[in-house]
Amino acid sequence: MQGHYYDGQSAAAQAVDITLVDDVWVLCGAEFELRWPLSQVNISERLGNTPRRLTFSAGGHCEVTDLAALDALLVHTQTQRSWLDAMQHSFAWAGIASVAFVAVLIFSYVYLLPWSAQVMAQRLPSIVLQKMGSSTLSTLDRVMLQPSQLDATRQQTLARAFAQLTPLTAAQMPYRIEFRSAPKMGANAFALPDGTIVLLDELVALTQNDDEIVAVLAHERAHVEQRHAARMVLQSSAVGLLMTWYMGDVSSLLATVPSVVMQAQYSREMEAEADEIAKQTLRANHLSSCLLGTMLEKLEAAHQASPATTRNADDVVMDYLSSHPATAERIQQMCPERR
Amino acid sequence: MQSQQQEHAFVFTGTGREYFKIWIVNLLLSVVTLGIYSAWAKVRRTQYFYRNTQLAGAHFEYHGLPIAILKGRLIAFGLLAIYYLAGVFSPLLAIIIFLLIAAIMPWMIVRSLRFKLHNSSYRGLRFSFAGSDAAAYTVFLLFPILTVLSLYTLAPFTHQRIKQFQHGNSEFGDTFFSFDASVKSFYGIYLRLLGMLFGIGLLVGIFAALGWHLMFILLPIAFIFIAGYFAVSLPNLIWNSTGLGEHTFYSRLQIKPYVWISFTNLLGIIFTLGLFIPFAQIRMMRYKLENMGLLAAGDVATFVAGQAQLTNALGEETAEMFDLDISL
Repeated sequence: MQGHYYDGQSAAAQAVDITLVDDVWVLCGAEFELRWPLSQVNISERLGNTPRRLTFSAGGHCEVTDLAALDALLVHTQTQRSWLDAMQHSFAWAGIASVAFVAVLIFSYVYLLPWSAQVMAQRLPSIVLQKMGSSTLSTLDRVMLQPSQLDATRQQTLARAFAQLTPLTAAQMPYRIEFRSAPKMGANAFALPDGTIVLLDELVALTQNDDEIVAVLAHERAHVEQRHAARMVLQSSAVGLLMTWYMGDVSSLLATVPSVVMQAQYSREMEAEADEIAKQTLRANHLSSCLLGTMLEKLEAAHQASPATTRNADDVVMDYLSSHPATAERIQQMCPERR
Repeated sequence: MQSQQQEHAFVFTGTGREYFKIWIVNLLLSVVTLGIYSAWAKVRRTQYFYRNTQLAGAHFEYHGLPIAILKGRLIAFGLLAIYYLAGVFSPLLAIIIFLLIAAIMPWMIVRSLRFKLHNSSYRGLRFSFAGSDAAAYTVFLLFPILTVLSLYTLAPFTHQRIKQFQHGNSEFGDTFFSFDASVKSFYGIYLRLLGMLFGIGLLVGIFAALGWHLMFILLPIAFIFIAGYFAVSLPNLIWNSTGLGEHTFYSRLQIKPYVWISFTNLLGIIFTLGLFIPFAQIRMMRYKLENMGLLAAGDVATFVAGQAQLTNALGEETAEMFDLDISL
């Protein structure tokens, strides 16, 4: 077997003929002969068709590119191929690993991520939620929201109407209603991680029936109680972090893509959960759960009238109308008696 | 007297098919072990690239110990986690942590460069890094701060100093690398980039005024090509100005093939949920390496081992340290 010997002292390569005689490696060069017992030679593992090295414990090494010849020699030694070596060079394992990898990816995204975000969100100290909420609100106040045009008595009336609504379970999170106006955003209401519920004048203007507004607030409070906003922030930042790390290996150009693509929005499950809690709450307070349904209709109609205004919400803010492809279905859920 | 120069191009023999098998098996093991195995995976991946890289008939070799890489990753992960958590609790705390990380970063970069170079070899001789901590603090902390204070007008200067520090302090055996790209040439590239961006901005303004919607297609293409210009000119400048003893390197990357490879790689990765990544890496590496090489002034076999390798004292010590995944 042919190889190139390097003594480790200079870059000069010496062509050698390598043989294995009675468990001793024999290297025959033009002007020298070296003998190394098996125990003093470390043979690098196979890695694709890359050259393998015989490294001698006293210094120096041989580079061998004729892999078949080396394998033939190694048959005579007790060298066993490691399981990893076998796996790395088998198409079957590559196929299994690909399927397993995609499965793990999908499982993690669909189940593991929401589950761990939920567990973490429940354990987040309230100071963290407060920080998340207050910083979001101040950012929104700067870029998008304007002070409410409603007078103080109107604001108080609405807040009091909502306060009279008895929650299903004792409130775990203190909530607070902030009145704002945002012509660019259109009719909307949204909950921040710290329990702040932002109610926009544009939504209040949509209806004459205060109970409908109370119904929307009940839906938002359910988001607060279930810590949906914190969960979404945790989920999207975890995904962003992972994607950056994962993509970052390829090219820094790619690394910026994920954070743009990933946007925090409530999942449909969260909306359904909030709807259900709001529905139960309304019924427990002897109000019709249709109130939320009719309000949803009005919101949808308002946004369809001016579609350009709906999609401007900041990433972190959970847009009331964001993930609602099935508004009709939701209305049906809340108002089954109406067909 | 000018001696005869001989051109040795890097030869890259890795293939996507082969690398895919190694990559996916190691990736799965990393996932299954919750990331612990990723250090071993990194060693294998690096070895695959090094061993498939040939120059003047000999291959490169990577000797990094997985455990040192694991240590580095744990440290980096810890720092990042602390920084993220601090950011959630209070912006002030995050700033303090950020400053602390910034303060130790140059020290860590030197360790990482030492680790990377010491664990790379060619023809049985190790590379090494001789940059001092003091110099590292100048180029990785002082100059970046000055850059920010100067509203980034010093950015090309800082970039030149970083490369000078990195390349000028690298050694192969007992032979030092040299770096002679001028600050002016870095400014040239950055100013041309700025000029192109400015030109694009101007065009956007004009087209927007005319209501010409085709620009929404042309604009991303223009940006991709400008990014391509930057991604190609910098390594060309840097490697064409790097020498090793009496030998010099060359790099002849071109914008069009580079942009094409980047763009198709991106599409491939997106549409295969990432399974195209190993193919993408191989394609890019092949293109880069095959357009780079060494202009040898004499026999490349005349290099001899450096002091560090002969005594092995520094080598052992640095190999025990950690590696950080920093790409400069």
